[in-house]
Amino acid sequence: MIAREMFEEFKARFGPLIQRADLPSDNRLFVFVDRSAVKHVCQHIFRELDARYVASIGADDRPFSGNFLVAHNFAFDHDHLLCSVLSYLPADDPKIDSISSIVPAASWAEREMRDLVGIEPVGHRYLKRLVLPDGWPDGKHPLRKDVPWNQVPDEFDSEREFKFDEPPEGCTVVPFGPFHPTLDEPAHFRLYVEGEMVRGCEYRGFMVHRGIEKLAESVMGYNDIPMLAERICGICGCVHNVAYAQAVEEAAGLQPPLRAEYIRTIMLELERLHSHLLWVGLACHIIGFDTLFMQSFRIREPIMWMAEKISGNRKTYALCVIGGVRWEITPEVKAELGYTLDQLESEWTAVVAAVSKDKNIQKRTRGVGVADAALVKEEGLLGPVARAAGVGIDCRRDHPYAAYDRVEFNVITGQSGDVWARLLVRAQEVFESIKIIRQCLEKMEDGPLALPITEELPVGRMGLSSVEAPRGESHHFVITGENNRPRRWRVRAPTYQNLQAVPAMIKDQQIADMTISLGSIDPCFSCTDRLETIDLRSGAIKVWSQEELLKLTRAKKA
Amino acid sequence: MNRSVMWMIVSGLLNVGLVLLIAPFFQGVLRKITARIQSRQGPPLAQPYFDLLKLLGKEDIESGESPLMQRFAVYLALAAVLTVACLVPMGFAAPMNSAGDAILLIYLLTLCGICTLLAGLAAGSTYSLLGISREMMSMIALEPLFAIAIVVSALHSQSFRLDSVLNGSVYAIGGFPWSGVLMLGVMLLSFQAFVQRVPFDISEAETELMEGPLVEYSGPKLALFKYAHMAKLVIYSALFVALFLPWGSGLAFPLGWLLFWAKVFVLVLLVTLVAATHARYRIDQAIRYFASLFGVALVALVVASYGY
Repeated sequence: MIAREMFEEFKARFGPLIQRADLPSDNRLFVFVDRSAVKHVCQHIFRELDARYVASIGADDRPFSGNFLVAHNFAFDHDHLLCSVLSYLPADDPKIDSISSIVPAASWAEREMRDLVGIEPVGHRYLKRLVLPDGWPDGKHPLRKDVPWNQVPDEFDSEREFKFDEPPEGCTVVPFGPFHPTLDEPAHFRLYVEGEMVRGCEYRGFMVHRGIEKLAESVMGYNDIPMLAERICGICGCVHNVAYAQAVEEAAGLQPPLRAEYIRTIMLELERLHSHLLWVGLACHIIGFDTLFMQSFRIREPIMWMAEKISGNRKTYALCVIGGVRWEITPEVKAELGYTLDQLESEWTAVVAAVSKDKNIQKRTRGVGVADAALVKEEGLLGPVARAAGVGIDCRRDHPYAAYDRVEFNVITGQSGDVWARLLVRAQEVFESIKIIRQCLEKMEDGPLALPITEELPVGRMGLSSVEAPRGESHHFVITGENNRPRRWRVRAPTYQNLQAVPAMIKDQQIADMTISLGSIDPCFSCTDRLETIDLRSGAIKVWSQEELLKLTRAKKA
Repeated sequence: MNRSVMWMIVSGLLNVGLVLLIAPFFQGVLRKITARIQSRQGPPLAQPYFDLLKLLGKEDIESGESPLMQRFAVYLALAAVLTVACLVPMGFAAPMNSAGDAILLIYLLTLCGICTLLAGLAAGSTYSLLGISREMMSMIALEPLFAIAIVVSALHSQSFRLDSVLNGSVYAIGGFPWSGVLMLGVMLLSFQAFVQRVPFDISEAETELMEGPLVEYSGPKLALFKYAHMAKLVIYSALFVALFLPWGSGLAFPLGWLLFWAKVFVLVLLVTLVAATHARYRIDQAIRYFASLFGVALVALVVASYGY
């Protein structure tokens, strides 16, 4: 009902500017809006209706409708509704009003849209290149359909350098990354530092683009993509695997069997367990407390073994196909998993009891890297970062998928929004995950693992899927297409949003707190960097050209 | 050359040799016990020896802003530590007892910190500079604590001679030694910082500053720095024992000597335990902590000057 009510309200308010709407179910709403009204509709949704910003998608729809397509996705978490505001732009004039002045969280997504699809967000205040490599020629947009997936443009200029912004007066620049012991993946923060205080920073990322979306849209099939999707992330791969499969299933109107949904839930929660335990360990390592780092890795190990028993792999589970799953949970595995969870629960209880009383850890984490509820709203922050600030959003409850509507669990929230609160939230979520897996094991009934799919999936349908990753909501948007593959597949990983708030979180803090503040969002740069056509990196040291470096690395040492 | 000078040189070399020989072993113990606390197997006790040998056998690369200063800093660091070894009683009387006094000791220990400063300047990177600014801040706050401990001891024994200062003189007064006990507490609470272990490894903080001043060091030079670091743990422990835990050192040869090293060993264990159960402090938190200890030390000094 809520989707229809919402649509009626839009129509009453904006009249003919609302062109049409798709209401595939009661918790999805696709509104097609005239491009002149997109900004106003978004303002209405984000400010007056207080929805949460999710993602923006740009797509080249010219081969099909002759237009470009822009979508801004919002979530009404209390009403369990995901809403997409779509607008077609004429092929010869791909411009749209920027919404980033109203929704700051959309800033990156609009810059990305401009880089990759060539859709110009008019009125965006900071249109620096975000995703494309520095040497990439202007005016070439890799996600357009007329650009082959394996093309390197002739005009590529490996000598062109990245231009950093000017640091504010009186500050020295401290480069942080791309290679730093606490950054396991490349990302570069240029910190503006005054003494030991950080006054601001510039982020430069997207250094290891793998062109995953383009690859999927050009050469892979529906059932190959889950295996690619889970390689987006080094830790929470299963999340992308499930989210993609769900988005396609939703677009095609498929309902996977019950047992498959339970197995998806179990694997997602196993992943959350090992991810949270990993995070607690790493956070302790960052603040120099290696004992807990080692202990949490020890406690985590049996979970990895269970994952391997079920899927054959510690991390990359290759779980989903469209319409089901590939792995069964046998009675032996079920028994062993139960035992492992008991073990984990008792050990983790001891750890949490020790940590929550530790003054030393509190000293390093309280009041550090604060993101309050206002920042959560503005920047669209997700997961434990939002929950630690008292914003109780959790897709498992708000937009239930898989078997989450059939199990009971609590959404853990904190109050202070600092690193300490995030630590406590994650520590408690481990217990909720254990609870969820136990319920799944108990309630799961025998049945088939996957739907038999014999017909082609329908073309041109849209699907949205939000999955609560350990780091926050992973959002996938799919438009089904011809040749057994989607036309457009957009992934918005949680770090994509959370990372945008890091400059605000580390401002006016000690440089010693930088690493733990960044670490506390559990950053996953590979998730964020997923987009690009070709892995070309520039910015080589001046003495060496890129070719020389390549030659050097490939030359055999005598 | 007369006999006493000969004896001084031989016993000085003995002390130096002993420190060089035993420092990696203590490091090995520290690593092994840390590993056990962390539910790990841990490296064999002899691993630090192998590590040093391996590093010493590597190519000697010159890097950073000033390679010469880089080299000088590391030689000076080890030399300063080993000179201190000649001035500290290690189960016997201090070998170079008559060659210097407690003031020299304070200078030499400060010199070790200066070497870190030079090393950081030589590297010239932002991280090493941040590291040395932290090193300097903590040095300024820390060194007075040690100096006060020595002065308290000197006040009680009415002499700056090494053999009288480093002989438990902090307690050497009639009645209850208030100042001595206060200083014992202060030094125990700051000991971790003197040997630069967690929670006070702030100037090297791997996860923040990428080893700070040491960022450009590799191969043999890194080996020497690491050696100096290990030796520092032994030297400071020996100093602590000599200053505050003198009991039993008067026993006949093997007993007194063994007892001395047993006490050093216990101190190393203590350092290990504290390091394994704490997170690193931030520099401002550390300085505040040192400042409060400094306050207590000043009280001890005043009390000592009134003869308590």
